[in-house]
Amino acid sequence: LLAWALLHPGGGGGEAWPTHTACRDGGLEVLYQSCDPLQDFGFSIDQCSKQLKSNLNIRFGLILREDIKELFFDIALLTKGSSILNFSYPVCEGDQPKFSFCGRRKGEQVYYAGPVNNPGFIVLRGEYQVLLELYNENHSIVACANATVICS
Amino acid sequence: MMPVSRLAGALIPAMTFLSYLRVESWEPCVEVIPNISYRCMEVNLYKIPDNIPSSAKNLDLSFNPLRHLGSHSFSNFSELQVLDLSRCEIQIIEDGAYWGLNHLFTLILTGNPIQHLALGTFFGLSGLQKLVAVEINLTSLEDFPIGHLKTLKELNVAHNSIHSFKLPEYFSNLSNLEHLDLSNNQIRNIFRKDLQILHQIPLLNLSLDLSLNMIDFIQPGAFKEIRLHKLTLRSNFDNMTVMKMCIQGLAGLEVHQLVMGEFKNERNLDRFDKSALEGLCNLTIEEFRMAYVSDFSSHDIDVFNCLANVSAVSLVSLNLNELERFPEDYRWQSLELVNCKLQPFPALALSSLKRFVLTANKNSNTIVEFKLPSLEFLDLSGNVLSLRGCCSQSDFGTTKLKYLDLSFNNVIVMNSNFLGLEQLKHLDFRYSTLKHVNDFPPFLSLTKLLYLDISHTHIHVVFHGIFLGLYSLKVLKMAGNSFQDNFLPDIFTDLTDLIFLDLSYCQLEQVSRGAFDSLLRLQVINMSSNNLLSLDTLPFKYLHSLQVLDCSFNHIVASKVQELQHLPSNLTLLNLTQNDFACICEHQSFLQWVKDQRQLLVEVEQMVCATPSDMHGRPVLSFRNTTCQMSKTVISASVLSVFIVSLMLVLAYKFYFHLMLLAGCRRYGGGECTYDAFVIYSSQDEDWVRNELVKNLEEGVPPFQLCLHYRDFIPGVAIAANIIQEGFHKSRKVIVVVSQHFIQSRWCIFEYEIAQTWQFLSSHAGIIFIILQKVEKSLLRQQVELYRLLNRNTYLEWEDSVLGKHIFWRRLRKALLAGKPWNPEGTADAENNQLEATTFT
Repeated sequence: LLAWALLHPGGGGGEAWPTHTACRDGGLEVLYQSCDPLQDFGFSIDQCSKQLKSNLNIRFGLILREDIKELFFDIALLTKGSSILNFSYPVCEGDQPKFSFCGRRKGEQVYYAGPVNNPGFIVLRGEYQVLLELYNENHSIVACANATVICS
Repeated sequence: MMPVSRLAGALIPAMTFLSYLRVESWEPCVEVIPNISYRCMEVNLYKIPDNIPSSAKNLDLSFNPLRHLGSHSFSNFSELQVLDLSRCEIQIIEDGAYWGLNHLFTLILTGNPIQHLALGTFFGLSGLQKLVAVEINLTSLEDFPIGHLKTLKELNVAHNSIHSFKLPEYFSNLSNLEHLDLSNNQIRNIFRKDLQILHQIPLLNLSLDLSLNMIDFIQPGAFKEIRLHKLTLRSNFDNMTVMKMCIQGLAGLEVHQLVMGEFKNERNLDRFDKSALEGLCNLTIEEFRMAYVSDFSSHDIDVFNCLANVSAVSLVSLNLNELERFPEDYRWQSLELVNCKLQPFPALALSSLKRFVLTANKNSNTIVEFKLPSLEFLDLSGNVLSLRGCCSQSDFGTTKLKYLDLSFNNVIVMNSNFLGLEQLKHLDFRYSTLKHVNDFPPFLSLTKLLYLDISHTHIHVVFHGIFLGLYSLKVLKMAGNSFQDNFLPDIFTDLTDLIFLDLSYCQLEQVSRGAFDSLLRLQVINMSSNNLLSLDTLPFKYLHSLQVLDCSFNHIVASKVQELQHLPSNLTLLNLTQNDFACICEHQSFLQWVKDQRQLLVEVEQMVCATPSDMHGRPVLSFRNTTCQMSKTVISASVLSVFIVSLMLVLAYKFYFHLMLLAGCRRYGGGECTYDAFVIYSSQDEDWVRNELVKNLEEGVPPFQLCLHYRDFIPGVAIAANIIQEGFHKSRKVIVVVSQHFIQSRWCIFEYEIAQTWQFLSSHAGIIFIILQKVEKSLLRQQVELYRLLNRNTYLEWEDSVLGKHIFWRRLRKALLAGKPWNPEGTADAENNQLEATTFT
């Protein structure tokens, strides 16, 4: 018991972050859970429907634990364990950054409310797992989420 | 006593156990660099930790609820250079909180809800160069007590609630200030008096960032006669009119770099037209940059008229698709167009332009011919260009080109070997598709080229002269191409200056022995991700400068150790990870070599076995030599013993009769017999008897004494008497040499009949038949008795072959030896044996 108590990490550090709902409407439900051990973050999608519109508006906010002079976004879409889509997108690049939050440093807030550059498509019935990851030039995780998309 | 000893018995193991879990002295912080750098990020500290060594230079206390910084909080850390207090919920910083931090040059206070800053808050920071005070509820620069920080170079007060751009009086002390970030504040107006201080003490190197402030008004003349290094105004204006007015307000400013535009997520401008930038005519600008302006639609290059004298222009993500031409009288030396949606590409004729970058332009797949006579640097990467002819002076209108980047485009057809472009030093084609490379030496005239990248350009190398002429080349990257027969031929003969060579992902299976022989200066070769089956080091034999060799991700099973002796002596890194190593005893010496060369091999722990199946995935280093030694000993011992046994058998066979002699037949003829055998033969066969029989039996081992009529019969005695007296009486055996002549000779038949009678009378004589030549059966039948005997008994048959002779003599010797007395006592036994050994009774 003593050994178990000593070796087991105390406090809530090892606990998983709660699952949030990014949107739930029109037969589509998007749930997400932060997979960054350091922090949870806020995320929502404004319109949600099986007939997914192009250039969706999203809201995203977190407090940076890393500098983001450069920022990259990776998305992996899986269903039943097999990969459907992998996509990588540079969000911030060194010179003349695209977004106002590029170049911010540890401790600063990032809040983004605006469109994402997605094509419109119809979501087929089923359950999908989406792994989203934001990382900086040193490959340090800035934000990470396991999302579940349920289309009924 | 008993309970005490029991307690001790329980405590000692517990203490031992706990000592292994001993807490490091700087817990809960993390030591990044011993005695120098410590990270205590988000570890729930309520006070400054006192267990960090005072020698620490870098201390990260971010994300801890410190809340309050008392006076002399850091007096223990006099060596500190970087202090990070981001998000520490600090509301109150007392006077002299940083006292003693004389060496501190970076202080980060980001994200603290500071309610009050006393005048002496930053006292003691006599060397501070960088102060980050982002998101600290700062409402004005006037109240910020930093007037005494004379060494300050960078002040970041972004994302606060500063309303006034008034640079306070104390800026006259900050003569080293180079960066002032006021972005994302509440500054709406800029008045002439706000910059008054810059007239008193000009900060020529100051870079000022005012982005993300909603500026309504800039008083005309506010920036008059002011010099700045850089002014950034992104996403500052609510509409076109305000923007136009504010730019006019900048009149008189002299700035090295002016950055304008918006952010993609902070767009305010409703429209944009050429009049917006009219005000720039009243500024002196060296470099102009503009990014992400929505609806930047202009048919006319006139929009940039006020920038005609600028030396460098950079335009990012502007919608320039309707732009038709660039005027020829601009003095631009550098032009950068990134993601500007040009369609078609406007004709370019700028005599001053030295550097031109056109990238990420996906709307046009052809370029018109340039007339850029001064151009030295041309980057056309990341477009969707297809060039039907590449490359010569006429394509770019310049002979001065030194840098050409055509990477990440479509198909580029090589039809000219860079005529007029002999000054090129850097050439990049990666990820474009190159055609007609095998038709002629495409780079023949590029004798000054230093860098060539043709990675992933879909080249299938057939022509061995592909790299002819590249005498100065230092770096060659050709990953992701292929070679005829997957064989690397001798194509690098001219590349005598080469230092770096990348041949990864080329599907190579074999390398010519002389492929690298002329690359005497080569330092790095990357041959990873090919299909090499063995590590053939002979091609690298003469590469005395080679330091790095990467053969990872191949199918190398093993290598011969004698070949590994050819590895260049200066090699410091050899990467053999991700290969198909066979961890079997056959390659034991190679596996031992791997263990011996740990220093040389990259990630030697990551080298794993592919075969045999029981070793699959296990480290090569885990291969045990002892398993091989065991089986080796067993194999060698058994081989040796088999050899010895067979050698003994051979020897025993060969020296059978010598051994018999040694064993006991030293004395023979011990009985009354003088001869071992009396030979009955026809005088017609005398040649055979003399040359074969006598020679072999009397001179061989053991020597037999034969009784021969021509030699041993006593003269003067009747033949019949001689036959009986000398022949039968004194001989143990009788050898009958049967032949055609024997049957026909009456003397022979006579002797034979006597022999038969003699055998009948004396029990110890045996008759040995030798058939010298096949006798016709009809002839033989005349001698009924002989015929009957030969049918019933074993006889010796003379054969002319070597093997036949050998067997014949062995059998004859054995037969003769059979009756020989071993010793006087053994005579009787021998006589009995003789009856069994000889085949007739």
